[in-house]
Amino acid sequence: MADPALEARGLTKRYGDFVALNNVDFRLQRGEVRALIGSNGAGKSTLIKILTGAVAPTAGVMRLNGEAAPFGDPGEMIRRGVGCIYQHSNLAPAMTVLDNIFLGRQPTRGFGLVDRRRQRREATALLAHYGVDLDLDAAAGALPTVKQKEVEIMKALALDASVLLMDEPTGWLAATDVRRLHDTIRQLKSRGVGVVYISHMLDEIFSVCDTMTILRDGVVVAESDVAAVTRTDVVRLMVGERLAKESGEAAAAARRPRGDGRVRLAVRDFTRRGVFQNISFDLHAGEILCITGLIGSKRTELLRALFGADPHDEGRVEIDDRLIRPRSPASAMAEGLGLVPEDRHRDGLMLGMSVAENLVMTTLARFVRVGLLDRGAVRAAAAKSIDALGVQPRDGRRATRLLSGGNQQKVLVGKWLNRRPEVLILDEPTVGVDVGAKAEIYAILRAERDRGTAVLVVSSDLEEVMTIADRIGVMASGRLTAIHDATDVTLSRLVAEIGAEP
Amino acid sequence: MIATFAPVARRLAPHALVLAILLFIAAFSFLQPAFLKPENLIGILRQVSLIGIMAVCMTFVIMTGGVDLSVGPVLAISGLAAFFTLEAGWPLPIGIAAGIAVGVAVGLANGFLIAAFGLPPIIVTLAMLSIVRGTALIAGGPDLHAIRGHDSYTFIGAGSLWGIPMPIFLFGAVAAAVIFLQFATPLGVRVAAIGDNERAARLSGHRVWATKLVIYALSSAGAAFAGIIQTTQVHTAAATYGEFGTELDVIAAVVLGGTSLSGGHGSAARTVLGVLFLGVINSGMNILNVPIDSQLIAKGVLIAAALAAAERAKH
Repeated sequence: MADPALEARGLTKRYGDFVALNNVDFRLQRGEVRALIGSNGAGKSTLIKILTGAVAPTAGVMRLNGEAAPFGDPGEMIRRGVGCIYQHSNLAPAMTVLDNIFLGRQPTRGFGLVDRRRQRREATALLAHYGVDLDLDAAAGALPTVKQKEVEIMKALALDASVLLMDEPTGWLAATDVRRLHDTIRQLKSRGVGVVYISHMLDEIFSVCDTMTILRDGVVVAESDVAAVTRTDVVRLMVGERLAKESGEAAAAARRPRGDGRVRLAVRDFTRRGVFQNISFDLHAGEILCITGLIGSKRTELLRALFGADPHDEGRVEIDDRLIRPRSPASAMAEGLGLVPEDRHRDGLMLGMSVAENLVMTTLARFVRVGLLDRGAVRAAAAKSIDALGVQPRDGRRATRLLSGGNQQKVLVGKWLNRRPEVLILDEPTVGVDVGAKAEIYAILRAERDRGTAVLVVSSDLEEVMTIADRIGVMASGRLTAIHDATDVTLSRLVAEIGAEP
Repeated sequence: MIATFAPVARRLAPHALVLAILLFIAAFSFLQPAFLKPENLIGILRQVSLIGIMAVCMTFVIMTGGVDLSVGPVLAISGLAAFFTLEAGWPLPIGIAAGIAVGVAVGLANGFLIAAFGLPPIIVTLAMLSIVRGTALIAGGPDLHAIRGHDSYTFIGAGSLWGIPMPIFLFGAVAAAVIFLQFATPLGVRVAAIGDNERAARLSGHRVWATKLVIYALSSAGAAFAGIIQTTQVHTAAATYGEFGTELDVIAAVVLGGTSLSGGHGSAARTVLGVLFLGVINSGMNILNVPIDSQLIAKGVLIAAALAAAERAKH
């Protein structure tokens, strides 16, 4: 048997104390389409970054077509035939398809002039070889999204890529376009290109992939032929078996579905056309409602619209029977809402500023006396939060960027707790956080619930959902398809509902 | 050797600008002892006071990742506004208020276009540079307007107290006020938050647009104040003051003070040091009789070298 197109052994990547990837083996044959599956924070993106050379692993070896490959050198990985198609387009939109395919490495004649005839000849041959139909003279930006993906694929193949990594390639595609892209992938496969297909869409994985590798907490938990497993198996493997047994009963005793019985937040027929439709639910004071579902089920979009960060088209939102109109984060906050965003680096924290400054970021006005900022009061309040949250190190002057992921997350949650919102919304509150900090954040959320706050959590981590939820909602394709009391629902039922075809 | 040097270098890095200023002062006074005479040192401060006022007032804009290219023409139009108001017989405070008000209006327009439409600051203020200069030329024509019979007005720029020219006091006062704004009011935190992470500032409930209106107004107000001082220094107002390049000196001073053009951390106090650095270099080269063409080249090289050193120190 020929050498595998790609073979990695013992890949380990640490970020400080956090192990993103632990002794992972990964292998891809020529002509194989392998799915790479895992929840957020499972280690998929770390693995991809290692394979593209964007980061170097702490330990491990890798061979491409039987030859040892270097780590941490993106240019060399491209020359060695590893191409990557990202979710977002990497094309130059104003240039033609032809120019995009050869971007940065045009064949030249003497004097550095571009050999346009040779370029066109090579491109035509390439398209014919893989059976792809593209207008070489069209501006790339004017093409439909699926065609743009094909241009990106051809751009990678023009470099003789033998391994193609596709990271959520269908994120922006309509259903018919997904089928078209899958046809193209089958063409590549028949020509001996190995494809790593990363997607949260189980339908797609079962339709186009041959084999799968499932990651959880940085470890490979399963490798299998796609034909040998069911959708339920896959979701179960992604989320882990452990929780079903151990946390079930312990958590059940502490659950408080519908909290103290008062409806705090009432959402009715909340709709953003083309994104989410007719979302209706009640959130009670003193309960934690978790909404789960696959990535792409538009949970984050729902939260952002509730918080006024994105617009919505229809629907009513009430807090304590008072109609509110979330138009901006500032207005939503005035009505008693708080949102802890998913991406703490992009949306959550001022990383260059101190921990103390971040902790008062949502409550700055409370520290103003006759127009002046009371820095002493800021320091005192920050010190109190740092103690209450267990932020390490206990130094409010430290730049937030220097903290570990778990401690940054505590600061992010803390800056919202300091506002004492009536409704606290959290989007994936423990992504990229180690196990210890996770448990601390859960304890913080429970304490907040017991104070009577209405807590709404979006999470794709079912272990987390089963641990903290009083009630559980399931979202699929922009609709809230079910809400259960956490005491009544079994993991397998939840798994079936999440993976169900819409 | 290197092992012992590295920690020292790290400890000195935050003070590099102060050290550079002292180093240049030492070098210039070694080459030309007259450099250290009190008249010369006061002269340096007087020369940089206008640029200094504008730079301190623009620091917040640059901290948010913005820039204000319109300060030159604002300087000119504000001087004209004050002149015409005084000529029409209004009392001195009204004349000064009119000049400042024109500046604030331009700044609010900049801030509004940037905050409400999300336009890039460099484009908005470039357009405003052109619009304001054109307006100033219509209002003031090509002439120099001599200011006569307003002694208390001309005292602002041409007078002195205890042998120290007024503009130095005014620069000190403006710098102290802006440093106070940065450290003692919530504006300092709001500005730093926008520069560090504008998305997160908005999601934390900050009214980012309001902060931008304030900081662009402050930048223009600084230029307007500088404009008033300049007209009183030279006893004339003209539409051509604040010539092309003024805004670049101002930006250079802010950036030399360690404020990053891409936004984030910055400090009005350090902008004052950036201003002094430029002043020392200009004066030193003048006193050594370096021709103006070579001066420009040397200044450019020094700015680039200082920024490269600052960039290295970050990593």
